[in-house]
Amino acid sequence: MAINSIIFNLKKIRHFYGDKKVLEIDDLEIEKGSITGLIGPNGSGKSTLLKLLAFAEQPTFGKIFYKGQKGLPFSHLVRSKVTLLTQKPYLLKRTVFDNIVYGLKIRKDTAELEKKVKKALENVGLDYALFSQRKWHELSGGEAQRVAMAARLILKPEVLLLDEPTASVDTESAKLIRKASLKAREKWGTTLVVASHDLQWLYSITDKQLSLFEGHIFSAGMENIITGPFENMDSNNSESKGVKKVIKKLSDGQIIILTAPHNKENKAVIRKSNILLNLEKSKDNNFTNQLSGHISSLLLEKKQSNIIATIIVNDFSFVLTLSADQISSLSLYPGKDVVIEFDHNDVEWV
Amino acid sequence: MDFIVAGFVKAIELLISGDNSTWTAVWATLKVSTCSMLLSVGAGLPCGFLIGYFDFKGKKHLRTILDTLLALPTVFIGLAVYAFISYQGPLGELGLLFTLTGIAIGQTILAFPIVTAITASIIENIDQDLKLTLVSLGAGKRNIIATCLWEVRFGILTAAVTAYGRVLTEVGISMMVGGNIKYSTRTITTAIALETNKGQFADGIALGVVLITIAFIVNLSLSFLRRQ
Amino acid sequence: MNRKQFFSGIIAIFFVMLMAISVQADSKSLMMATTTSTDNTGLLDYLIPHFEKETGIALKWTSTGTGKALKLGQNCDVDVLLVHAPPAEKKYIASGYGKDRREVMYNDFVIIGPAMDPAGIKGKGISEAFNMIKGKKGIFISRGDDSGTNKKEKLLWKNAGIQLPDKEKWYVQTGQGMLASINVAEERKGYTMTDRGTYIKYNSQKGGNAPLKVLVEGDAILLNQYSVLTLDPKNCPKAKYELALKFSDWMASKNAQDLIKDFRLLGKELFIPNAK
Repeated sequence: MAINSIIFNLKKIRHFYGDKKVLEIDDLEIEKGSITGLIGPNGSGKSTLLKLLAFAEQPTFGKIFYKGQKGLPFSHLVRSKVTLLTQKPYLLKRTVFDNIVYGLKIRKDTAELEKKVKKALENVGLDYALFSQRKWHELSGGEAQRVAMAARLILKPEVLLLDEPTASVDTESAKLIRKASLKAREKWGTTLVVASHDLQWLYSITDKQLSLFEGHIFSAGMENIITGPFENMDSNNSESKGVKKVIKKLSDGQIIILTAPHNKENKAVIRKSNILLNLEKSKDNNFTNQLSGHISSLLLEKKQSNIIATIIVNDFSFVLTLSADQISSLSLYPGKDVVIEFDHNDVEWV
Repeated sequence: MDFIVAGFVKAIELLISGDNSTWTAVWATLKVSTCSMLLSVGAGLPCGFLIGYFDFKGKKHLRTILDTLLALPTVFIGLAVYAFISYQGPLGELGLLFTLTGIAIGQTILAFPIVTAITASIIENIDQDLKLTLVSLGAGKRNIIATCLWEVRFGILTAAVTAYGRVLTEVGISMMVGGNIKYSTRTITTAIALETNKGQFADGIALGVVLITIAFIVNLSLSFLRRQ
Repeated sequence: MNRKQFFSGIIAIFFVMLMAISVQADSKSLMMATTTSTDNTGLLDYLIPHFEKETGIALKWTSTGTGKALKLGQNCDVDVLLVHAPPAEKKYIASGYGKDRREVMYNDFVIIGPAMDPAGIKGKGISEAFNMIKGKKGIFISRGDDSGTNKKEKLLWKNAGIQLPDKEKWYVQTGQGMLASINVAEERKGYTMTDRGTYIKYNSQKGGNAPLKVLVEGDAILLNQYSVLTLDPKNCPKAKYELALKFSDWMASKNAQDLIKDFRLLGKELFIPNAK
């Protein structure tokens, strides 16, 4: 991969808020012009990561490289080139017009402002005559978010970071915002990094998905995380010869058995590739763990038309990638009872 | 009780008749409090911004000291200023004692902590998303400071109005530093103190009503600014 | 509103104000410190314009308590003093702060009390009256604020051979001004010592028929002597000594002395000129 095509390079990032470590990323690369999705529960560090990528804050430890050079807040390298759209719509206390031209005025790009604003509003589906003189408090949430988007797109940014862009807005605005972001990439090659709970949309547009959990990134394939508390397995048990094991008891009575971690790691990660899907439990105990659950969703992935299947087992979600053929041969549908199987040794502790 | 009613009547009389001593006191009050309000805002805004925006060692202690300064009694400030500008004091040569300028200095000292503390609080409570938005739009450090202040302009207006109210109505500094000299440094508040001391309660109330009217007019005009 | 216009407007107002409050020093002006009780009589408002007209000297005065007035002179913040505390004044001159002392007028103090006079002091001499009040434990209101008036009152107790009844229940110290203390006396139906000027005002407020009446007056020791003090140029080289002397001379002039005699407070005579 040519160096030119990497736009972000994060190295040994450890970010703290006070004493709390909120982000730990050893090595992350984002390709120029790609669309990357950030998935994860609230508090997993998605917003923090986006803030660091926006160079709004400097990581407590570690470096972020932008286009091969060290990126610092306010530097000319990144100013006006990397933009972030906040989750809640936020506008400056001034008219729509003044909000949109703010960035342009800062970089003294004041030619043909009216024309540019008109185009920018068009891109997000707002009429110039109706909206340009409206004050910040005279807009609905969706309209405000659209204006915020327009204010960023008018700068033709190299990177567009979106933090739950469709979470706080109405459907129509969500649609327009999605459309506008993709258009930016099409026209200007803007790199997109999107954090969203809208998995259907995310899987359909993104080239790569990163799962975040408690500040750590788990790249594609490593989204299955089992958290504690774990109990040490009874050493008198005849089956546990030599290898130390731990048990996770589920509230529906099922048990997960895993090889014990070496140190104090407390999160168990099972790779997708190590999980098998079946309709019933097999009698021949090839896998230590056979867990009953049901299919909760089947989503289409952009690349290669794969299906992302989410299976709920008690409190946990397991994510698997299946082909269309597999789906039809097993006659899978959301709600169907299935069994997932994996071996106790196929665990990675984090 | 009758003196309160008599006071209201007298107030209208004083204002309409253009009574010289009343109007010079009114003018003196306006001059001095507007001046000190502007000075304290000019100095307090940047200080308040710096304290609110940045995190630094000892910030909590500084805030505590600042909040304590809010409780400085005006007579104390008056005494301290007197010590400096009296002939015996280090600034004695400037001849500031018994002048409106001297009062303005004392009142600025009074109002400065108010403006600073309120501004610091406002800045501290600025929405996180504001900074993110500004950075996203390519703002540099100076743009951020200027835009932040403009975004919180309503809060700053409140700080200015609060400071103005404080200096408009104080007596301790005006009395100690100004000396309550008729036609010269007599302000409405010191005139009220004088009339009350003389037992002329109705006159005291009258001047008080005049003061409240001024404060009302000032606040009314400032509220127009808010609507903008 | 355009932002630039807004700020320019503010700055313009500011500079106008700043100019307005800059003070030009008058070449022929005099700064005087006097007491609040003197100022409150209104004598100065009546008298000083005459001085300014006759001499062309502008006189500004500030009124405070006696102690502070003397302090202002000591600190050279003023040019001349008009006070009424002879022992303190003599000490002042001895200490080198004051130079010339010229007596110009006097008024007097009186003892007032409820009409029914529980201690029976009406018409008696001051020392006898005080002893009677102590004996009968009649309520006595004192200003207790170390003002010139208060110092006089303490002197009267000493003169009557009585140790200051500081901690006695019947001796009430208000820590306030004269009028306020009289009001307390009225509430408590007690006795108090006041200058005649304040009594005149108080009586007038009550429509001429105040509950508290003048019971004891006339003793020599009840006299309140006013004097003009100039400041010693050795202590205050910048003080306007020549102008201060002019003021002192003028206060003793026939014209001023007549004016003082003719001054009426609410129709009542108050000051008696006695310049030599």
